[in-house]
Amino acid sequence: MSGGITTIASHDRIVDLEIYAKAILNILDDFSEEKGRLRNTQRAIQNILEDAESEKFRLEATRKAVLNILEDFASEKLQILSMQKATFNILDDLNAEKNNAERTNRELVGEIIERKRAEEALEAANKELEAFSYSVSHDLRAPLRAIDGFSQALIEDYFDRLDKQGRYYLERVRAGTQRMAELIDDMLQLSRLTRTEMHFETVDITMLAESVIADLRRAEPQRQVKVCIQPLMSVKGDPDLLRIALVNLLANAWKFTGRQAAARIELGNRDNDDNDCRVFFVHDNGVGFDMAYVNKLFGAFQRLHSTSEFPGTGVGLAIVQRIINRHGGQIWAEGVVNEGATFYFSLPHNQND
Amino acid sequence: MENKTILLVEDNPDDEALTLRALKKNNIMNEVTVVRDGQEALDYFFAGNVTANPMPAVVLLDLKLPKVSGLDILQRLRGDDRTCMQPVVILTSSKEEQDLIGGYRLGANSYIRKPVNFDRFIEAVRQLGLYWLVLNEIPGQGGRL
Repeated sequence: MSGGITTIASHDRIVDLEIYAKAILNILDDFSEEKGRLRNTQRAIQNILEDAESEKFRLEATRKAVLNILEDFASEKLQILSMQKATFNILDDLNAEKNNAERTNRELVGEIIERKRAEEALEAANKELEAFSYSVSHDLRAPLRAIDGFSQALIEDYFDRLDKQGRYYLERVRAGTQRMAELIDDMLQLSRLTRTEMHFETVDITMLAESVIADLRRAEPQRQVKVCIQPLMSVKGDPDLLRIALVNLLANAWKFTGRQAAARIELGNRDNDDNDCRVFFVHDNGVGFDMAYVNKLFGAFQRLHSTSEFPGTGVGLAIVQRIINRHGGQIWAEGVVNEGATFYFSLPHNQND
Repeated sequence: MENKTILLVEDNPDDEALTLRALKKNNIMNEVTVVRDGQEALDYFFAGNVTANPMPAVVLLDLKLPKVSGLDILQRLRGDDRTCMQPVVILTSSKEEQDLIGGYRLGANSYIRKPVNFDRFIEAVRQLGLYWLVLNEIPGQGGRL
């Protein structure tokens, strides 16, 4: 420190400097504080900004979610729209359907009314038919009895005044009345068959057939006929009607083997291919028939032989057919002239009404 | 047997003649009273001084008759104490189920269908006569109570 003034001056200066430095330091301190505050503020801002950033992400996500939701809503809306359209279509269809149903209903009602009318007409026709057959049964037979009875009276009481020819004619008259009486009875039976109520039960066909054959043997004990009836055959059906059917079929077989030296009749059964019905057959080795006439077999009053050849009214097979049909079955036949005939008839298994 | 009478209810003169002939052919000599419609038949039993009319051993009853039907006559006979035991044989052309059932339901004793064949008719009448006039016993006075 040479030179006082300088020193003094320097000292002052130093003091001044120190003051400045202090001031500066103070200022610096102040700055530092301020800087710290600023840093804090900056940190806070950064935090805020960071927060804002994450908020932004969240917002973005929310926005995306909202967008997604909106998109979903849009597709939902489309779906709803198309669903609505479909619903409208369905409603339209339903309406059309309803119209259809209403029309069908109207038609049905019309049909029911028509059917009812038809039923009433049928009932009336049936009643008329009943009255008719009653009248036939009563009134048509009475004059026949008179013709036959008085012819017989003539033959007996005026025997000496009639020659052989005259008596023969009267016999012809009597035979004619007999035949007419048979025709009337068969016709009545045929018409009765469609009217009588059916009662279903298990029918022992074997036993039934054996009793029918026994009756035939009793009526013509001189006939030698070999009869084979399959044992243990039974079926659900109306016993009275099935008896009539068997009587006709077996009596036919019996009749048409009349000229056969070794007459043979066979009755058997088997399930059909579909296993829904039982097929019975009556086979004989009699005169048979020409298959060309097979369609005529089952017609009422249709005959393939003259009455002088084989007696009968031609109603038997029509009766059988009606009985089988009423059971829900079918009948058909096969034949060879002079070799025999086979009649088949089917009866459904599920007969329970 | 001689005092047993027959009441024939028959509107058809042919059938009447033939029935009488069939009785004669079978040597059935019993008295036969013939009434020709349903009302006459009812009168025989119920009208006026009926005690004058003998109670028949058997009534041969046709079903289809003028005025009152055979089944109605039967019903009247069965419904009256005086005639409820009267033997009645339905002798008719019909063998319709409704007639058979109706006849038996109303208490007919028998039901015979007249055969067209006169020989068979004679046989039917023979058996009828034998049964109802000879074999069958009835309470005194022909069943009159």
